[in-house]
Amino acid sequence: MPIFLQSVVSGVLVGGVYALIGIGLTLIFGVMRVINFAHGELLMVGMYLTYYAFTLLGVDPFLSVLLVAPVMFLLGVLLQRVLIQRVLSALPQNQILLTIGLGLILSNTVMLIFTSDYKILSTSYSSGSVMLAGLSVSKPLFFSFLITAAITAALYAFLIKTDVGQAIRATAQDREAAQLMGVNVRRMGLLAFGLGTALAGTAGALISPTYYIFPQVGGAFTLKAFVIVVLGGMGSVIGATLGGLVIGTVESLAAVYVSSGLKELFVYLLFLFVLLVKPSGLLGKSRM
Amino acid sequence: MRALPALLPLAALALLVALPAAMTSPYALHLMILLFLAITQGESWNVLGGYTGQYSVGHAAWFGIGAYVTMMLLQFHHVAPWWGMWPAVAAAAASSLVVGSITFRLRGPYFVLASIAVAEIFRLVALNWKDVTNGAEGILMSDLPPLQVAGHVLTDFTSKVPFYYAGLALAVLTIAVNWAVHHSKLGYYFQAIREDQDAAHSLGIALTFYKNVALAISALFTACSGAFYALYVGFIDPATVLSTEVSVQFVLISIIGGIGTIAGPVVGALVIVPLSEALRANLLSDVIFGLHLVDETSPAGLFLKDNLAHAHALIYGILMVVVILFMPEGVLGFARGLLARRRRGHAPPVAEGSA
Repeated sequence: MPIFLQSVVSGVLVGGVYALIGIGLTLIFGVMRVINFAHGELLMVGMYLTYYAFTLLGVDPFLSVLLVAPVMFLLGVLLQRVLIQRVLSALPQNQILLTIGLGLILSNTVMLIFTSDYKILSTSYSSGSVMLAGLSVSKPLFFSFLITAAITAALYAFLIKTDVGQAIRATAQDREAAQLMGVNVRRMGLLAFGLGTALAGTAGALISPTYYIFPQVGGAFTLKAFVIVVLGGMGSVIGATLGGLVIGTVESLAAVYVSSGLKELFVYLLFLFVLLVKPSGLLGKSRM
Repeated sequence: MRALPALLPLAALALLVALPAAMTSPYALHLMILLFLAITQGESWNVLGGYTGQYSVGHAAWFGIGAYVTMMLLQFHHVAPWWGMWPAVAAAAASSLVVGSITFRLRGPYFVLASIAVAEIFRLVALNWKDVTNGAEGILMSDLPPLQVAGHVLTDFTSKVPFYYAGLALAVLTIAVNWAVHHSKLGYYFQAIREDQDAAHSLGIALTFYKNVALAISALFTACSGAFYALYVGFIDPATVLSTEVSVQFVLISIIGGIGTIAGPVVGALVIVPLSEALRANLLSDVIFGLHLVDETSPAGLFLKDNLAHAHALIYGILMVVVILFMPEGVLGFARGLLARRRRGHAPPVAEGSA
């Protein structure tokens, strides 16, 4: 039983970061109906930024969020302007292929510059743990969960309370109607892709103390982000949060009770199962 | 498009059959074999992605099954590949039907996602089921047994020539399959599904059934190309035959040329293979140095020399983005558009005014 509780807790903690990845993806999908296949690669770029901020400038990885998030936001806005905006009315398959190409460019450019060596970012607290109600919890995971929770709360507040947040949600709900109401949907697109990219980069910064950093790390996260988003319902921010927590827990349990090499297999099987049984996800509307 | 005279493909085929007699350079043969492999891959994908409109980004699954089953039978059970490839192909076709009956309930982007997830599942199984697949170590082929017919040794596979003819046969076969699809009632069903699923359905076309037929055909020949790859290269592991990059290559060959056309994948292969070989053989950096764009001994020059050889995946990415942005109908569609514009440009001004 303690093992079970222990793995559920660490699953939920990892799931918090997954939620962040999923929210970024779902925001982009909600506003533009574009599925971003380069999402994991953007996260990878965030990891590298954090790594070099740490090794070259000595910035703590959790503190570096303040640096990584704005840089990634600008990168996202740039990508939106140069690439994504041009295919908004193209076939969905072509949009997917475009972002797959973008992902290949990102991961291979990073590989050319920094080689494909695995990098490890180890801080003084990397292997430390804190005791929580009798369970030992990894310190970096615990910190990253707290930061994730704060960011998610701030994002909810932004989306629900502010005018810009409402405009984003209106665009996601009905693009044309939003445009008729005077919302600048083009700007909302820039904002959504920028925010999504910043969230992916932030997630990359938060996991960099606990993961290996290498150019191909993104692919697995892209797929995981989809599983999370599909599970929660495409376009639903609350769904993505929930999906992240569920996937984190499933992975953690599969790693403990089956084999850590097969934890991703369970995630993909769960994904296919959800696609079949309830393709609209836990909280989404049907968009088969 | 005007119909090509029937003699032209036949003449090209005769030339390709005669080629190894004149061309003895192993490297030239190697290039041709890679070209045939790429054509086979592209044409196989085209049946499902091009004609039926189901963009699978998970064809590594069928490629990997073809490669793995053939190789495992050869290495661990001593089954000669010309027997072993049949169970491999059957396994791919059968599992594609199982997968298809699940994933074809999904449309558009959801299908793309599901196809990637399926390929990833196969990769993870191959990676972790070490007793059967040798896991991440992969399988290294020791030697091919000589091919005998009625006691005569046809070939002992010491040269590249038998691979050349096997590759040529596969390429011709898959082109013929695409031709058959293009001109048959089955192919019209496929294209109807691609153009408008709901309209096709309302006309009585059983969507899932025909999508499954397209997938099975596609998976079958993809598995052939996988088996061929494994035997020719002599080594497979999950990263080289089951990764998403392999799946992307399948899509790329078709979309560069122009999807849903018979000649498209051939054009795509003619673009991709020389390009990635030029990168691998460092030809591109030689050109850059030859033009004195960058000094060979400068830090930038050394960097290029070391790294451009590994850049083929980067080039894939750039090609993909460029094709989608600037010629979504592929090189063929782009060329056709240019031709049409030129013809209009050359038309007399009177005709232009009345048009």
